[in-house]
Amino acid sequence: MRLKPGKTALLATVAVSYLFLYLPVVHIGLASFARNSNFPYPPKWSLDTMTRLFSNSLYQTALANSLIIGIFSALLATALAGLATIGLMRHAGRRASFYLALFIAPLFVAEVLLGISSLIFNGLFLGLRGNMASAILANVVHCFSYALLIIATQLYRYDWRLDDAAMVFGASPARTFFEVTLPLIWPGLLGAFIVAFIMAFNNLEISFYLLGATPTLPSAAWGALRYGVKPELYALATCVNLVVFLLLGLMFVLMRTGLVTFGHRPERERSAV
Amino acid sequence: MKGRFAPAIFLGIPSVFLVGLFVLPLISMLVLSVWRTENYHIIRDFSFHNYEVLATEGAYVTFLVRSLVMASAVSLICTLIAWPVAYGITLYGGRYKLLLTLAFAVPFLTGEVLRIIALQGLLGPVGLLNGVLLSLGAAPLRVIMYTNVASAIGLVYLYLPIVVTVIYLSLLNFDQRLIDAATIFGASPARAFLEVTWPLNLFGTLIGFALCFIPCLSATLAPRFLGGPNGTLYGMAMAQQFGESGTWALGAAMGVVLFAVSVLLVVAVSRLIDLRRTGFTGFGRG
Repeated sequence: MRLKPGKTALLATVAVSYLFLYLPVVHIGLASFARNSNFPYPPKWSLDTMTRLFSNSLYQTALANSLIIGIFSALLATALAGLATIGLMRHAGRRASFYLALFIAPLFVAEVLLGISSLIFNGLFLGLRGNMASAILANVVHCFSYALLIIATQLYRYDWRLDDAAMVFGASPARTFFEVTLPLIWPGLLGAFIVAFIMAFNNLEISFYLLGATPTLPSAAWGALRYGVKPELYALATCVNLVVFLLLGLMFVLMRTGLVTFGHRPERERSAV
Repeated sequence: MKGRFAPAIFLGIPSVFLVGLFVLPLISMLVLSVWRTENYHIIRDFSFHNYEVLATEGAYVTFLVRSLVMASAVSLICTLIAWPVAYGITLYGGRYKLLLTLAFAVPFLTGEVLRIIALQGLLGPVGLLNGVLLSLGAAPLRVIMYTNVASAIGLVYLYLPIVVTVIYLSLLNFDQRLIDAATIFGASPARAFLEVTWPLNLFGTLIGFALCFIPCLSATLAPRFLGGPNGTLYGMAMAQQFGESGTWALGAAMGVVLFAVSVLLVVAVSRLIDLRRTGFTGFGRG
């Protein structure tokens, strides 16, 4: 076999990048199950840190709050992004680029600016105190654009003539949506929901400015981080990482079984590399 | 068959939502930036005082310049790493391509705080790297603890996944048969890359660059926990105006400056490229 320097270099870069990304994750993973959390090599297994994390009531409240923010933000973001994607593809016409620019603009505004500007608007101009509802809504703005892009990759190949056919045969628009469109596009919506949930769940900067003293998991971690990393934080990060892996694994299984394609187009692959 | 109300529902609801909760807050930040804060109270006089402070006080100018340099360097490094990674995955990933890219997205989805905790576990004074060096009997590396280098490593770590994903998506949409066509007509692999692959994926590359540059510019956490005493960045200073110092109006002015720089970057990017030349077909198929 001939050695290809280009291929070797590319694959080496890929491997090193994975190492760089996952070394810290694996390190804190080991640390959260080890007796010596500063330098867990070789690991001496112990569940002390985990039990301390789960017996801490601050983290329990924070987890509940983060779950509420994550679920409601993801539901709203997915619904709005679904509407927006269909609107862009079907009803925007010549103004499509204007709406597209508006819809993806939140991608290009840093999270901390979204948080601060929402704080100013709510606190100063509307006179509202920070609460869960405003935190959820502000998170939706941020997740909306990501959800839009995910749904768009799915709907890009959707054949709208199916809808027209259903309506020609007398189905109402609502019935067409629930019996034709939704069964075909739900994988995209689910993907958007999962990603939006993970993002809103883990968000610090938007939630932080709008919640005041209400703790979320990231803000509790941030507070603890200021006084030096405690082993509980390693355990917390590991738990969240595991859940993220689990959810993305679910997405992957759905994809492998052919339920979801995420815009994968085999006909565009190169015939020979 | 299009109802008269359909555009109002499908485009109207999201637009109203975004105008109300995204555009109006940004405008209110702009309004606040021309007011004043005294003793935690906001005084509604119109003046450009805050901007004068930002322009004349050396510290803020230093922070801004430092942030710009940091964001440019980090985005450049990210793009330089992300290109070979994304290209390698598309060429040699085979059927595991999607899995490999998803694996890159995992760290991006885990929140910033938790990833900074992970990085401290790697780079910190008692972290993995220095632990290994100490147990080998070597001196710990000072460069990677609480310096600007550490901040930069942290920011690359935080935003590399998004750059890889964007460039990968751009390569996925790119018709690889064009390369075959170019090589059949006698182009060398390098020439085919420079004349076909690179220009056709420039859009994705620039978007990836921008999506890394903008959050880096207003980074608040990484410089605080990884950077040293000389590592204060603009975003971190801005966050302090809303927390410890309570000078909201000045903070709002800093926010406006950051926003303006981001807008300038996006405008520059959209001027640089011709969407149709890059083969962008994402929307508007009707």
